[in-house]
Amino acid sequence: MKDSPQTVIVVDDDDAVRNSLRLLLKSAGINAEVEASAQDYLARYDATQGGCLLLDVRMPGMSGLELQQELNVRGATIPVIFITGNGDIPMAVEAMQHGAFDFLQKPFRDQDLLDRVQRALARDTENRARLRHTDRIRERLASLSPREREVLELVTQGKANKMVASDLGVSQRTVEIHRAHVMQKMEASSLAELVRMMMTIAPP
Amino acid sequence: MRGPGVSLAGMSSPTPEVLALLDATVDAVVIMDDRGRITAFNRSAEEMFGYRAADAIGRNVSLLMTPADRAYHDSHLRNYLADGESRVLGRGRDVRVVHRDGSEFSVFLSVGRIPNTDPPLFVGHLHDTSLRRKALATLEKERQLNRLYLDLAQVMLVATDRTGIVRLVNQRAVRVLGKQSADIVGSSWVDNCVAPDDRALARAAFRTVVVRDDDEPQGCEYHVRSAAGEDRLITWRCVALRDTNDLATGVMLSGEDMTDQRRAENEAHRALERMNNVSRLATMGEMAAGISHELNQPLAAIANYAQACTRMIRSSTPDIPVIAGAIEQIAGQALRAGEIIKRIRSLVRNEDVRRETQDINGLIREVHALLASDARVHDGALALDLADELPSVTVDGVQIQQVLMNLVHNALEASREQGGTVFEVRIATRRVDSGDVEVSVSDLGPGLPRDTEDRIFEPFFTTKPTGTGLGLAISRSIIKAHDARLEYRANNPRGACFFFILPAAQETPR
Repeated sequence: MKDSPQTVIVVDDDDAVRNSLRLLLKSAGINAEVEASAQDYLARYDATQGGCLLLDVRMPGMSGLELQQELNVRGATIPVIFITGNGDIPMAVEAMQHGAFDFLQKPFRDQDLLDRVQRALARDTENRARLRHTDRIRERLASLSPREREVLELVTQGKANKMVASDLGVSQRTVEIHRAHVMQKMEASSLAELVRMMMTIAPP
Repeated sequence: MRGPGVSLAGMSSPTPEVLALLDATVDAVVIMDDRGRITAFNRSAEEMFGYRAADAIGRNVSLLMTPADRAYHDSHLRNYLADGESRVLGRGRDVRVVHRDGSEFSVFLSVGRIPNTDPPLFVGHLHDTSLRRKALATLEKERQLNRLYLDLAQVMLVATDRTGIVRLVNQRAVRVLGKQSADIVGSSWVDNCVAPDDRALARAAFRTVVVRDDDEPQGCEYHVRSAAGEDRLITWRCVALRDTNDLATGVMLSGEDMTDQRRAENEAHRALERMNNVSRLATMGEMAAGISHELNQPLAAIANYAQACTRMIRSSTPDIPVIAGAIEQIAGQALRAGEIIKRIRSLVRNEDVRRETQDINGLIREVHALLASDARVHDGALALDLADELPSVTVDGVQIQQVLMNLVHNALEASREQGGTVFEVRIATRRVDSGDVEVSVSDLGPGLPRDTEDRIFEPFFTTKPTGTGLGLAISRSIIKAHDARLEYRANNPRGACFFFILPAAQETPR
């Protein structure tokens, strides 16, 4: 699954904080990169890059919260961990409400940071695997012929071959052949798996 | 009856030679007979009065006179003919005469009786003085105008000779100095009008102008002392006055009275300072939050670097240069934290503050409006309980106000958390037994738990979820700098009371 290494990207306007975080993550064997501002990060934003974001809430220019909202608009799925100061609890709460993965109050113990980062990276892996899975299902679906697509829809509604044949005005034998093609193209070993696939890609 | 010099005697009309002579004369010449009739009228007279000789001859000479003179002329003539006395003959005088077009003008008239004429003939010489008059009048008008300009000028104008004796002074300068012009003119400018402390300066500026040979105005600024003893600050521009040989004969000073402007500038400056103080007061909480954020940055970096070092040292292949770099960073960040703390200290330290003897109740009333609006935001009320007849205290008013703002704000927040029905914060002043002044801020909130009473003044100690733990610590150091101590006691019947006792100022008012 891991085609490219996961990277933690630290966005913080404070040189010392940013670089010390990178060193800390590296000392724990985690690949880390740094950006000095939200704008700099957006300029290099790559949706296919796996990892997580360590984001300072307070930054001049675009704040951490604003960056999070911009990423939401772009449909990004990368988990965001916010780093907050003492009096920033209300901001942290807002960040969580907007789907932040977690937050950390400065200064923090390294283990707290590394635990959260590891969890965020695991979450990102899951997210991406799920995305890849649905992408593949959609690809297979696209390879079906219009008639096969019709057969798929009817059988996943629980209809027997006979009913499908009468609905479509074709012979039962024809339905059986289409159905075998569908199972093969969708790489499904059973009707139950086929139904699960369709539920996975169904819009929520 | 003919003879030289009397060629006109007895003649009703002059000979051509005489006429030519008359016409060559620049002055108007008019001859009249004993009944006042004009018998000769030369070219200049024609030009002067606008009549042709033919029209004038034969008419009464009063034709040329103003109505006022006309009335007297015939009777004068008769009197003269009767008793031979005249106030006119042989004496020149200025008279007003009338042109044909009706306009009046002045001439210098001399009248003589032509000898040996009987009945007598009289000759009048009329010299047109109006041109001379006009020139004189213009000159006079110009002088007055100059004087007017001088006096209308919004600047002080003073001219001195090269020894510094005042030769001329305008109204404005007279007013500023509060002296009579006569008391200024004729005496030394510097010794008589300049404030004693500034005399050396004024003399030096004067010398510079006299000695220099260019005409660049010399700028300087010094005080003059008015007759009432008041010193006024004047900005001067001085230029040398020069004669035709370009030698400096004196100095012209034009001065602008800057006293009121400076006063206004200072006042504006003070107002601005007061406004800054108010914003300092209003944002003390924000300031503390900013400081704690700033301090958190290096602390976080130090923690990160140290933890990274630990990990790297424990690894099987420690990268020593990287670890050394990280430790250097730790040292650097620790120094950065120290700098920030130094800055906080300088906020509280009293290096640049002005202690003044003040009325503590006045200081409280000044911030009352600001505090009352803070109370309203917290749904509370602010009560003042200020004792009369308190001694003055020597304090930095703004800092004391800052402490009060902080204490009142804390009290309001504590009371709101309590959510009680009676919600009042009280600022009280009273004179304590030692004669000093106690200032207290009390509330009816929950008060302090026993175990926090001792820690409440420690920096970064806070009981509030969003507190910075700096407000009380800063307040205490401010009060300490005033040789007093900010302390806590339980309020009666309940709640918290913070108080400090300021030493009474040395000289007691009233």
